[in-house]
Amino acid sequence: MKSLISVRSTLLILLVTFLSACATEVTRMEPDEVKDLSGAWNDTDSQLVSEEMIGQLMEENWLPEFTRQKNMRPTVIVGTVRNLSHEHINVNTFVADVERALIKSGRVKFVASSGERGEIRDERKDQDVHSREDTRKPMGQEIGADFMLKGSINTIIDASGRDQVRYYQVDLTLISLADNTKVWVGQKKIKKFVERSNLRY
Amino acid sequence: MCFLPGVKRSRRKNQCNISSARLLLVLLPVITALSGCATYSTGFVQVESELVKQNPVKALDALEKMDHPDRDRVLYLMNKAMLLRMAGNYSESNLQFEEAKRLIQERDAISISEQTTSFIINDATRAFIGEPFEQTMVHIFSALNYLDLSQLDEARVEALQADVRLNLLNKRGGASPYKEDAFARYLSGIIFEMLGEWSNAMIAYRKAYQAYSRQNASLAVPVPVSLKHALLRLSSYLEITNEFEKFKTEFAVADWDTVAKLNENGEFILLSLNGLTPVKRESSHLLPNPGTGRLLRVSLPYYESRPLQVDSVRVIADKQEQRTETVENIDAIARVTLEARMPEITARAIARMVVKDQAARAAGEQNDWAGILTNVFNVMTERADTRSWLTLPAEIQLTRFSMPPGTYQLTLEWLDGSGNTVTTKTIDAVALKAGEKKLLSFHWLPNHLPHTRH
Repeated sequence: MKSLISVRSTLLILLVTFLSACATEVTRMEPDEVKDLSGAWNDTDSQLVSEEMIGQLMEENWLPEFTRQKNMRPTVIVGTVRNLSHEHINVNTFVADVERALIKSGRVKFVASSGERGEIRDERKDQDVHSREDTRKPMGQEIGADFMLKGSINTIIDASGRDQVRYYQVDLTLISLADNTKVWVGQKKIKKFVERSNLRY
Repeated sequence: MCFLPGVKRSRRKNQCNISSARLLLVLLPVITALSGCATYSTGFVQVESELVKQNPVKALDALEKMDHPDRDRVLYLMNKAMLLRMAGNYSESNLQFEEAKRLIQERDAISISEQTTSFIINDATRAFIGEPFEQTMVHIFSALNYLDLSQLDEARVEALQADVRLNLLNKRGGASPYKEDAFARYLSGIIFEMLGEWSNAMIAYRKAYQAYSRQNASLAVPVPVSLKHALLRLSSYLEITNEFEKFKTEFAVADWDTVAKLNENGEFILLSLNGLTPVKRESSHLLPNPGTGRLLRVSLPYYESRPLQVDSVRVIADKQEQRTETVENIDAIARVTLEARMPEITARAIARMVVKDQAARAAGEQNDWAGILTNVFNVMTERADTRSWLTLPAEIQLTRFSMPPGTYQLTLEWLDGSGNTVTTKTIDAVALKAGEKKLLSFHWLPNHLPHTRH
């Protein structure tokens, strides 16, 4: 009898497993809503870090000093941000967030990065042949950047069993293109404790 | 319940047992035939037959046609990623590896429902997350994909992830002989050296050296000569004098490239991924118990090697010859891993056999047919877990050599044990810049495999 009960309950377990595997639920979320699923670097981290760091960048001395000396707004270009972390972080989204925060500040001019300008130059060449003269944009008129913003994302992971402490450190440096001096160094740290259950259904 | 009028219960019961034993004897051939149905590894024949024809794209089609329940999804993703890599589709391959990694992390927790089912049915009903060595291989092959895509920073991510995984394995303790992966460390060192991160490279090379030294007895892979050179190069460059002197005495290598020389020259790093890992097969023992008239069955997995026709690879560049050396013996790692796990697998199989037999006895007390059917069901569902990552190579070989900057034609000759060429491949116009480390990897697949046993 016992065995029949156990056979029956096994069948029940199997049935429930099959049925519960069928349901997929999708809920729409606001882009600024925070939801941490795996503890990995996510869009919230990317936005928070970029906004906070660009905020820091705008507060520092280098900006009023440059404006006083040159009597104009500095021009900034975003260089590479290296992913030196434990995760395949999409650095492009982070760079895009940094660029957005830079433009939003309105206190610096900002030119297209080396990756983007290739296409613009091709278009200009193309205009030279195909566009009307009064709308044609001449070559050699690009604004040379005064500063380059470079950086890296690093992590330190301390793991034990299924628990992890993930420590992210984002470093950004603003380097003067005229003489390689580092006019600003910014750092932002994020620490996450990721606890994962030892059991699942 | 057995109804035989006029017979005492004890005798009646005995007669029932005899009749059910007869019935089971009749059923025995049927059960044997039916339980010969495919385990995971026997279902893989179609994929293998395309692979031996050197056609990974068709092998992928065959894999897609196989039935993969959700519990085998990680296994499917591992195989799919490897076949995509063999077909040269590195980005797509890495997407599969990423998904596999995510699922491994998710399914690593102990499942209550699967534990119950695996105790009643068999071990193959549990979600497959791979052996620890197979999990490390995900990082190794994903890193190789990124290197093929020239995404060095992303390959570095894999090296860091492998480090976290191996450190956890190290901490875990237990009887498992696989606590470190020498080649994963060596490859990490190469990646760090490519990026000019000398200290990190030195640490990884040192860990590789320690792992090779420790595992040589069980895996028969001595410290590779190219690793000895790398250790001398970096300990000298980083001015770690004690270690440098120790390595110099221990290795007795006369000629090795310094960092300065490698900055002037370029370095070729050639990897050959040879053959296919051993296959897990099932060994079953079906025994009628004359005392009870019921059948007992225990099924256990064992590894069957796939023959490796290749001994090493001769690489010819600008009339200079190099030979590859083994840097990872996956075949041996798989075997020692299973060997160490066998006591646990056997104990679980025997416990399951006892539970199943008790269930059949209890059912038989209620009704003869229920008893027989339960016994038949239990015997037929007793299968060994033969799931393993079958598209992994059996071994990894490597050679590193420096050449002046220029454009080279590389000839690769895969040689058998007697030095005869099995396969040749020529790669034209490979450009090597000063200070560059050019890593090229090749899969070598056998052109025949022995018939799969059922």
